[in-house]
Amino acid sequence: MPAVQVENLVKTYGDGTQAVKGISFKVDDGEFFGFLGPNGAGKSTTIKILTTLLRKTSGLANVAGLEIEHDAQKVRKLIGVQMQDTVIDEDLTGRENLELQGHLQQMHGEELKERVNELLKVVDLGDAADKRSAYYSGGMKKRLDLASTLVHRPKILFLDEPTTGLDPQSRAQVWSYLKGLNQTGMTIFITTQYLEEVDRLCRRLAILDHGEIVAQGSPSELKSEIGADRITLALANGNPGTGSLKDMAKQVLGGLGGIKEIVDSDEGIVVYAKNGGFLVPDIVRAFDTAEIKLSSIGVSSPTLDDVFLKHTGRRIRPEEIDKSRASGMFGRRRR
Amino acid sequence: MSLASDSYYMFLRWMKKLVRNPILLFFSLFQPIIFLVLFTQLFSSFGLLLGGINYTIFATAGIVLQNAFSSAFQSGTAVVDDIKSGFLTKMLATPASRASILLGRLLSDAFRVFAQSLIILVLAYGLGVFPVTGFIGYVLILFTVAFFGLAWSGISLALGLRTKSAETVFGIAGTLTFPLLFMSTALMDKRLMPEWMKSVSAYNPISFAVNAIRDLIMIGYNWNSFLLSFGVISLIAILTLGATIYEFRKVVS
Repeated sequence: MPAVQVENLVKTYGDGTQAVKGISFKVDDGEFFGFLGPNGAGKSTTIKILTTLLRKTSGLANVAGLEIEHDAQKVRKLIGVQMQDTVIDEDLTGRENLELQGHLQQMHGEELKERVNELLKVVDLGDAADKRSAYYSGGMKKRLDLASTLVHRPKILFLDEPTTGLDPQSRAQVWSYLKGLNQTGMTIFITTQYLEEVDRLCRRLAILDHGEIVAQGSPSELKSEIGADRITLALANGNPGTGSLKDMAKQVLGGLGGIKEIVDSDEGIVVYAKNGGFLVPDIVRAFDTAEIKLSSIGVSSPTLDDVFLKHTGRRIRPEEIDKSRASGMFGRRRR
Repeated sequence: MSLASDSYYMFLRWMKKLVRNPILLFFSLFQPIIFLVLFTQLFSSFGLLLGGINYTIFATAGIVLQNAFSSAFQSGTAVVDDIKSGFLTKMLATPASRASILLGRLLSDAFRVFAQSLIILVLAYGLGVFPVTGFIGYVLILFTVAFFGLAWSGISLALGLRTKSAETVFGIAGTLTFPLLFMSTALMDKRLMPEWMKSVSAYNPISFAVNAIRDLIMIGYNWNSFLLSFGVISLIAILTLGATIYEFRKVVS
C-alpha cells in the first residue's frame, strides 16, 4: 500500500486561482520523497491537502490507504506535519511543547513522559528541556518543532521546507535526523530548496511547476534524462541581462554542432551537450571569431539543479530565499 | 472524552502562558485597581447624592464588571497570535477536537475573570465593602462575572477570527469599552443620569449584570434581577459564541 497516492488532484481557490491542476503521483511506504518546485508552484497547497488542512476541489488523495477527507481523524494520527515557519509555543518550555503535542495525540502518563525524554535526547535538547523555548536559538527552536511532530511516532512525516532559514550546521543536523528517521522505516515527504541534499537522500522526487508535475523519478534517472554535460558560459563586458550580446552569443552557439540545448540562466548561458569537454575549444574559437568576450567557461556533469532548470526554466536559489524570508520574518513577527 | 481532555490541555496551555507573562498579569489588574482605589475616592461625594451611601460599596459591582469586560476583550488578540504564528494550524493537524481549541480558550477566559474578580473583591473588602449576602453572595457574584466574561470573550474571539488583526480587535474594544461602561449603571445610579442616557442604560446589557451583582452586595437576594441578568448574559453568549463558532469554522475549513 502506497504511503501517499494522488490522482488528478485539483485545487481551485475561491477567487478562481487554480493552484494545483490535476496532478498524479505516488509515494511508496518507507520512501524519502522530494517534492520540488519554484515558489508558488503549488507545493504548499498540495501538502495542506495531504495533511487534512485544506479541502481538495476534485481528484483522489489517499494517505496510508485512507481517503483524506473521509478519514481525516485517522490520517491525523498517522502523520506528522512540519510547517514552513517554526511553530512552537515560546511561552512553554521545550518539554511542555512536546507534552502538549502528545496530549493532543491522546498520549498520556508514563508512556508520554518516556517518549518526550527520548525525543529531547534525539534532538539534543536534553539540557534545555525545562527552559522556556523563547530563549532557544533558531536551530534549537527548529529541532524542537521537528521533535514535536514526532511525539506520536507518525508513519508518514510531511515537511514543508524544514531547513529554510537555518545556518548550514543546523541544516546538516536536521537532514541527518531525517535520514535516521527514514532508516527506521518512516516515510518522508519533503519540500525543500536544497537540491544537493535531495540528490543525496531522496529516493524519488517530483518537480511541480505552475500547479503541474513536470518531471518525476529518481535523482539519477532525472539527471541521466538530461543526457549531457553542462557548459556554463559567462559573458564579459555585459551583465547577463543585456539582450543583444546574449542573443549574438546564442546565435554563434546555434551554429555549432553537438549541442543539445541552450538555456538562459541568471549567470549567462547554459549549454547542454554530450561530451562537453570536447566542445569547449570549439566554443572558445567561435566566440573569438565573433569577437564576443567570455569571462568564464566551465564544464560539469548534470546536477538536480540542471534538472530543475530544464523543467521549470528557473533555478532554485536557497541563499536568496533565506534573505527574503529572514526580512519578512522580522516584518511579521510582532510580539 | 477527547473533547474534555483536549479542552483541559488547551486550558492549561493558556493558564501557563498567562502566569508566565507577569507584566500582562499585572496590567490586566492595574486598571480595575486604579478604578477601585482612585475612582471611588474621587467620586466619593456621589454617595451623598445617592442618599448618603458609601460610593465604594456602590461602585464595586461596576468595577468588577468593567474588569471582566476589558479582560474578555484580550481573548481575540491571543487567538490572532495563534493564527499568525501557525500554532492554530499545528493544532489542526493533530486529531485534537476542534471544539476544544475554542473551549480551552473560553474556559481560561472565564477562569481568569474569576480570579481577577476575586482579587478585586478582596481589595474591596479591605476598603469596607462587605456583601450583605456573605459567602454565598461571593460565590454567586464570581459565577455571574465569569459567565459575563465568557459571553463577552465571544465578541473579541469572533472579531479576531474574522479580521485576523490584533489592532482591529483592540481598536474596536477600546472604542466600545467606555461608552458601554458609562452608559450603564456601573458607576452611576440611573436616578442621576440625563433622560436619554437613562433609556440607553436600561437596555445596556452591562446594567443588567451590574444591578444583579450590586443587589447581592447592597440589598440581598433579589432573584428577579439575578435571573434577569442571567437571561441577558445567556442571550449575549448565544449571539457572540454563535458568531465565534461561525467564524472559527470558516478559518478551520
